[in-house]
Amino acid sequence: MAMQRELLRHIFKKAATLRYPFKDKEKVHIPSDFRGKIAFYRDRCIGCSMCFRVCPAEVIEMIEDEKGKRPMFYLDRCTHCAQCEGVCPTKSIELTSQYESAGTDRAQMILK
Amino acid sequence: MPEFSVIVGPQHPALKEPESFTFWVDGEDVVRAQVRIGYAHRGIEKAAESRTYIQNIPLIERICGICNVAHTICYTQNVEYLYGREIPRRAEYIRTIIEELNRIHSHLLWVGIAGHEIGFDTLLMYVWRDREVVMDLIEEMTGNRVSTALMTVGGVTRDITPELATRIRKGLDILEERTEYYEKIAAGESTILARTKGIGILTRDEAMKHCAVGPTLRASGIKSDIRADDPYAAHDEVPFDVITSDTCDLFGRVVVRVYETIESIKQVRYCLDHLPSGPIRIRLPNTPPRGESLSRVEAPRGEDIHYVRSDGSDRPARYKVRAPTLGNLAGLVEMLTSKGDYKVHVADIPIILAGIDPCMCCMDRTARFIEPSRSRDWVWTWDQLKKYGRESER
Amino acid sequence: MSLEAEQKLALGLKELLGDRVSDIKVQRARSIFVTVKAEDYKESIRKVIEKYGITHISTITGADSGPTIDVMPHLSHAGTKITFKAAVPKTAAEIDTLTDILPGAVMYEREVHDLLGVKFKGHPNLARLVISDDWPSDVHPLRKEYKVIRPEPIRKM
Repeated sequence: MAMQRELLRHIFKKAATLRYPFKDKEKVHIPSDFRGKIAFYRDRCIGCSMCFRVCPAEVIEMIEDEKGKRPMFYLDRCTHCAQCEGVCPTKSIELTSQYESAGTDRAQMILK
Repeated sequence: MPEFSVIVGPQHPALKEPESFTFWVDGEDVVRAQVRIGYAHRGIEKAAESRTYIQNIPLIERICGICNVAHTICYTQNVEYLYGREIPRRAEYIRTIIEELNRIHSHLLWVGIAGHEIGFDTLLMYVWRDREVVMDLIEEMTGNRVSTALMTVGGVTRDITPELATRIRKGLDILEERTEYYEKIAAGESTILARTKGIGILTRDEAMKHCAVGPTLRASGIKSDIRADDPYAAHDEVPFDVITSDTCDLFGRVVVRVYETIESIKQVRYCLDHLPSGPIRIRLPNTPPRGESLSRVEAPRGEDIHYVRSDGSDRPARYKVRAPTLGNLAGLVEMLTSKGDYKVHVADIPIILAGIDPCMCCMDRTARFIEPSRSRDWVWTWDQLKKYGRESER
Repeated sequence: MSLEAEQKLALGLKELLGDRVSDIKVQRARSIFVTVKAEDYKESIRKVIEKYGITHISTITGADSGPTIDVMPHLSHAGTKITFKAAVPKTAAEIDTLTDILPGAVMYEREVHDLLGVKFKGHPNLARLVISDDWPSDVHPLRKEYKVIRPEPIRKM
């Protein structure tokens, strides 16, 4: 059997699987430019609505606040495609490395 | 004579994804097969007509999770052909790099699945552990392990820094060593040889007649690869060999895929060494000119062809996708039909189906068996069929 | 980019098919579009595949162009894509099958029939391919008349 040598080599090695989320959480390596949860910087936004026009999943709704037009994000619909981040001229939208974004209530998942 | 059949599925909580086969059997031999697809039809072509060209990129990416790079390259290329503009050379090289990394990922995944279907779960576990290396490389390059979102109309969205290139090269060295080990296993491991040699035969004439594509076609001895015949992205400059096999059976398909993985590793190295400098994208206006365009790429599963028609607005008038597995379906039915000395056994059905690397959203299905001579008509789930395949003696 | 080889092939096709061809266009490198009338569709394709030894058909696209439906088989010859285009009226959407000269077309004609309602005369089994069996047989989703109904949320957030 060609696999015998490989199998013997692994008898004394540790398992390759990390026991996330119960242990080994710190061993999960996430690169810095991971496409995770959206973060929005209101002070940089100029209300051009380009993000609204490129979003494929209707995550973005343009609303008005005291400073003018700005996006509101329905994060439960987000597919993390990063097209909004790519098109924003002032870098107001950033996809962070936060990968744990499950929730139980859709109303709690709106980013204002 | 009363017949009794219980149908489990195709929609059932226990099944991964639905698809339906009907087999007419005579004892252990399969006489004929019939396929019914469409259980996972999502209406993507219609949906593409009501979204803009930019909004369509993530939609097209989700046609297939594993071949998402092939579909997005085909789409963005197609729209760029409508504009009649060339994208920067550096973007084409980056597209080729991620495409070949995706191919390595897909073929390693397939080797694991093939091992799983014949009951060789050890091979599945080891190959999928090595697949983590390529998924980590893709994550460093694009921000996600599987769904890459690297393409845009006019180029790519992220660049490759020299540090990233060094990390990719290190990962490729590991992958090359592991793939050469799997090459030895495929050629030498008696379990694999016994379950794949002489199984699922599709002769050269049958493959051409039924217009098979991809590794299924190349394992029947036909030297046809879109990257060589109809080059796109950087494939006109990156040297590689088209891998074929003359055995026309399942073993040939295993061999073709393992060697293609090694070729892909070499291509990524060449691209990293010869990466031209320059911009990574050009800005194109929202509305392409009127016209129509056709674009093909070599997805891991075969020839993927897209057609677009533009009426001058910012939404496509018609977008048509023909994913590679549909091209292999007619050949698959041929492979499952016993004729002359070539007998197809029920126990070989799972591995023959897995042999074309089906990507109709990762098929998992029920199989309905009809045995007219003994008036039996029954349905097995996938797990029952796999269990039968592993435990029956040959 | 020189398109010499494609121009030569286009000329060869024009000579072979004569006035059956109403328009022939080299769209870009390795891509040629040939427009024929629906009556000459099968004969033109038969002549071309016999002369050039073509066996591979990539797919058949059906496209709704208003009063007509365009039936477009895409053939592959030594890396070049040759697309034939024939228009059939929507009210009488019928055209000859290619399955006897190109057996690989069998699934693609089923798909165009299923989604656009074009009947392929002589096809061995024009059953449904992608749409479910309980879908009404006179509703063809890819035609422009069919409007997609957006699902509405049951509860407002």
